[in-house]
Amino acid sequence: MAGGKRAAAAATKKKKSSKKKAKQEANAAGVGDKSVEAAGRLLSYDPAKPVTWKSGEPVPYLFLAEIFESISETTKRLEIAELLTNAFRTILAAGTPEDLLAAVYLASNTIAPQHEGVDLGIGDATLIKMLAEATGRKESAIKSDYTKEGDLGIVAMMSRSTQSMMFAPPKLTIVGVLKEFRAIAKTEGTKSVDQKKGKIKKLLVAARECEAGYVTRSLQGKLRIGLAQQTVTTALAHAVVLHAETKDGKCADGKTHAELADRLGAAVDVLKQVFSECPSFDEIVPALLMDGGIDKLAERCHFRPGVPVKPMLAKPTCGVSEVLQRFSDVEFTCEYKYDGERAQIHLCEDGAVKIFSRNQEDNTPKFPDVIRALPTYLQEGVKSVVIDCEAVAFDRAEGKILPFQILSTRGRKNIDEKDIKVNVALYAFDCLYLNGENLLQKPMMERRKALYSAFKEVPGEFFFATAKVSRDVEELQVFLEDSIKENTEGLIVKTLDATYEPSKRSLNWLKLKKDYMEGCGDSLDLVPIGAFHGRGKRTGVYGAYLLACYDEESEELQSICKIGTGFSDEALESLSNSLKDTVIDAPRGYYKYGESVAPDVWFAASQVWEVKAADLSISPTHMAAHGLVDSTKGIALRFPRFLRVREDKTPETATSAEQVADFYNAQATKQEFNNGGDDDEF
Amino acid sequence: MFEARLVQGSLLKKVLESIKDLVTDANFDCSQNGFALQAMDSSHVSLVALLLRNDGFEHYRCDRPMTMGMNLTNMSKMLKCAGNDDIITMKADDAGDVVTFMFESPEQDKISDFELKLMDIDSEHLGIPDTEYAATVKMPSAEFQRICRDLSSIGDTVTISVSKDGVKFSTTGDIGQANITCRQNTSVDKEEQTVIELQEPVTLTFALRYLNSFTKATPLAPTVQLQMSKELPVVVQYLIADMGYVRYYLAPKIEDEETAGEA
Repeated sequence: MAGGKRAAAAATKKKKSSKKKAKQEANAAGVGDKSVEAAGRLLSYDPAKPVTWKSGEPVPYLFLAEIFESISETTKRLEIAELLTNAFRTILAAGTPEDLLAAVYLASNTIAPQHEGVDLGIGDATLIKMLAEATGRKESAIKSDYTKEGDLGIVAMMSRSTQSMMFAPPKLTIVGVLKEFRAIAKTEGTKSVDQKKGKIKKLLVAARECEAGYVTRSLQGKLRIGLAQQTVTTALAHAVVLHAETKDGKCADGKTHAELADRLGAAVDVLKQVFSECPSFDEIVPALLMDGGIDKLAERCHFRPGVPVKPMLAKPTCGVSEVLQRFSDVEFTCEYKYDGERAQIHLCEDGAVKIFSRNQEDNTPKFPDVIRALPTYLQEGVKSVVIDCEAVAFDRAEGKILPFQILSTRGRKNIDEKDIKVNVALYAFDCLYLNGENLLQKPMMERRKALYSAFKEVPGEFFFATAKVSRDVEELQVFLEDSIKENTEGLIVKTLDATYEPSKRSLNWLKLKKDYMEGCGDSLDLVPIGAFHGRGKRTGVYGAYLLACYDEESEELQSICKIGTGFSDEALESLSNSLKDTVIDAPRGYYKYGESVAPDVWFAASQVWEVKAADLSISPTHMAAHGLVDSTKGIALRFPRFLRVREDKTPETATSAEQVADFYNAQATKQEFNNGGDDDEF
Repeated sequence: MFEARLVQGSLLKKVLESIKDLVTDANFDCSQNGFALQAMDSSHVSLVALLLRNDGFEHYRCDRPMTMGMNLTNMSKMLKCAGNDDIITMKADDAGDVVTFMFESPEQDKISDFELKLMDIDSEHLGIPDTEYAATVKMPSAEFQRICRDLSSIGDTVTISVSKDGVKFSTTGDIGQANITCRQNTSVDKEEQTVIELQEPVTLTFALRYLNSFTKATPLAPTVQLQMSKELPVVVQYLIADMGYVRYYLAPKIEDEETAGEA
C-alpha cells in the first residue's frame, strides 16, 4: 500500500518536472510555439468577412449565437479563445463600442457588474410556459422534450414553431438582447411576474434559428458552452490589440508572429489585472477603445471605493511544518482565521458605506448596525477607506465569539436595526485603500500599518485580527491551539512582503485549519444532485445523497461521492424537505456521473454543503476532475462527512474540479513529503 | 388639439373590451378621418385593426394627426367608470402627455373627468395588403361565439373548412373530437342568415385561444364576417353600425406530421 502511494507520488512528481521543463523552453523562446502559431492564425482572419449587416447598424444577435454554437462544438480552449477573439474583432470592425460591451457581457454570462447584484435566473416553469406561448406548442410536449434532452436550451432550439406569424418581429440585436435581459432582471413590484413573462415571450418570439437556445440558457443564467470567464477576458484583450495594431493580415509596425504573440500575452495579463481591481466591463470596454487602449487601461480603470475587488484567498496546507517549509526564507505573519462572513467594507469619499460579500454581492442592507457604528471605529482624518475583514457573530455580554451557525440566523434583507438579535463583531485584517491611495500593490506590512492608522478597536464591535510573527514550530503550534480555543477556525499565514492579489488563491496566503491536526485535507463545498431513499431508521427521508463539484470550464457538475454520515436527525428531515421541491425527472445534461452511482431521485442543483473527507482517491465511478489528474477516471472522496449547508454559496461557486485536482495533488505531495521524512530517520 | 364626442358612450366601452385581452399597450392614431388603432399581440400571431370614422361622432376635431400610446388595461379601468348611457368625450392637446375622458350623464346632472397618462410605445405601422379572398362567410356573431367557446372545451385548435354547402368547424382533443357544420341559410331575418361566397374551397387551422378573444367583439355587431384564403391569415370582421369596424387577423397553424400528433 505504502509502496503504491509512493509510486503514485513519484509519478506526479515526474509529470510536474516535465511540465516545468516545457515551460522553461517556452520561456526561453519568449512564448510557446503554440501561441506563435495562434498569432499567425489570428492575423490571417479577415474581420470584415463574416459581416452580414450594414456597417454601423446594431450587430445582430444571430452573429453571436452562431459563435456560441461553434464554441459549444469544440472543447479545445485555444480554439474557443480564437473563435471568440475573431468574433470580437468583427464586432469592433463593423459595430459600435456598445455592441462590443453587450457581446462581452453576454459571452461572460452576466448582464451587469457583479456588485450591482443584477442577475437573471428565470425558473424553468416560467420558461417552459413562455416557450409554449411563443411557439404555439403544448406545454406538456415541451416538458417531455425537456425530460428527454435535459437542457431547455436544446428544447428551445428544437421547438419549431407550429404557428405562423402575421408579421415577423424585428431581428434581435446584441445590444437589444442585453437591454431586455437587464429590464427583466430589474423588473420588480406588483405584476412583475407578468411583465417579466411578457418580455421573455417577446425575446422568444423574435428568436430565429439557434437564437432561442441561447436566449433561453442566458435567461436560466447558464450558458453551458464551455466558455470560461478567463477565456472571454483573453479574447477581449486579443481582439482589442489585433484591431488596433493589425491591418490586412499584417502587423502595422512590422512585428513578427512571435512578437505579436508576446504583445497579446502581455495584453491579457494587463486586462486580467485591471479586471480584478475594477471588475466592471462598463468601465473597461470603453477605456479599451480609447486612445492608447490597453497600454493606458490601468491608468483609466483602477480600484476605488464603491466597487469591490475579488477577495484574496488562501491555499490550504497540512500543518505547521509545511508552512515553515514553504516560507523557509521569507518573513511571515500568522493571524487568527475567524469563522464568519468575509466582508469588504468601503467608505467612499461622499461618506457612503458599502459592504460586499466574498462574491462581490452588495451586503450593505444586511448590516445596518455596522453601517451606523462604523464612524466610531475610525481614527480622525479618514475620508475614504476599504478594509477586508471577517464579520463574526459575537456575544457582547460574555465577550465571546459565537459559531458561524449563529451568524447565519441573521436576516438577509430589509433588516431593521431594532430587530437585530445576533450582534456582529468585525475582525479587520487588511486595508486596500486609504484616503485616496490605492494600497493593493503595497506589501502586507504597509497595508497593516495603514489599517492600524485608520481604525481603533472598540471592544465587542471592532477588533484587529490577532496576529503573531514567529518562526518557531513550537510557538506556532501553541498559537494555533490558542486560536482554536478562541473559537476560530485556525490560522492564516501571510508573507509580509506580498501585495494584495485579488481573486487569487495565492501561495502568499496559507490557511492552517484545526482539522489538519486530526488529519489532512480541507473541507469541500459540494452540491447535492441526487439522493437515495432512506431505509430502516431513515425511512421517509433521504438516507444518502450524491454530491458533485463544479467544473468551471465545462460548466458541469461532476459527481464526487455518496454521503450518508454527519447528518443529525433534524438535518436529515430539513434537508429532505427543502430538497424535495427541487426533484427533477431525469439528470440534467450537464451532470456527469458513473452509471453505477445513479441515485433514486435527481435534484436541480440548488444547495451547497460543506463536507469533510478523510482523503481523496482516483475513482472509476465518480467523475470529479476527470481529465485533470487521470485522463479518463475521476476523483472521489473517501469517508465524507456532512458539516453544514453553505447558505452563502451557489452551485456555481462550489469547490471547482480544478481545486479537487489540487487537493489530490497536494495530498500526493504530502505523502511524498512524509515519506521523505521517514527516509531520513531510517 | 383632438376632441371627439360620442353620444353612445357604451360603444367605446365595448370596443375596448374587444381588444384589451389581445393587446396590452397600443398606439391610437387620430387623424382627420377618424380614430384608429392597429396592433399585434405579443406573439405576433394575431393583429387587430380598429376604425371609428369621424362621421360617427357627434363632434370630431383633429387639427393634426397624432398618436396616443395607452395601456389598454388602464384605459379600460377608466372607461368602466362611465355609465352605460353616458356621453363620452375624448380630449388631448397636441403636445400633451395625457388624454382626458369626460363622461356626461344623459340628464347632464353629473360630469366626470378622467385623465390617463400617455406612454411611448414602439410600433411600426404594418401595411396589410388588400387581397381577394377565396371564401367569405357571413354568420350571426353569437353563433360564431358559441361555436368557438364550445370547441375550446374539447381541443386547442379548430380546423375551419369552407365548401359550397357550408362551413365546418372541427377540433380534436384528449377526450375525443367535435364537428359543427353551419349550412347556408337565407332566413328572412337578415341577421340570422348564414351566407357563403366561394371562389374555391378552403381549409385552415387556427389556435382557438385567439378566436375566443376575437369573439369579445360580439356585442358590437349582430353578424360576423370570416374571410379566408389558402395559407393566409383569416380576417374576422365586426362592423360597427355607422362608424367603422373591428377587424382581427389570425395567422394559421403550420400543419405537418410531427406536430399533427401534438395538436
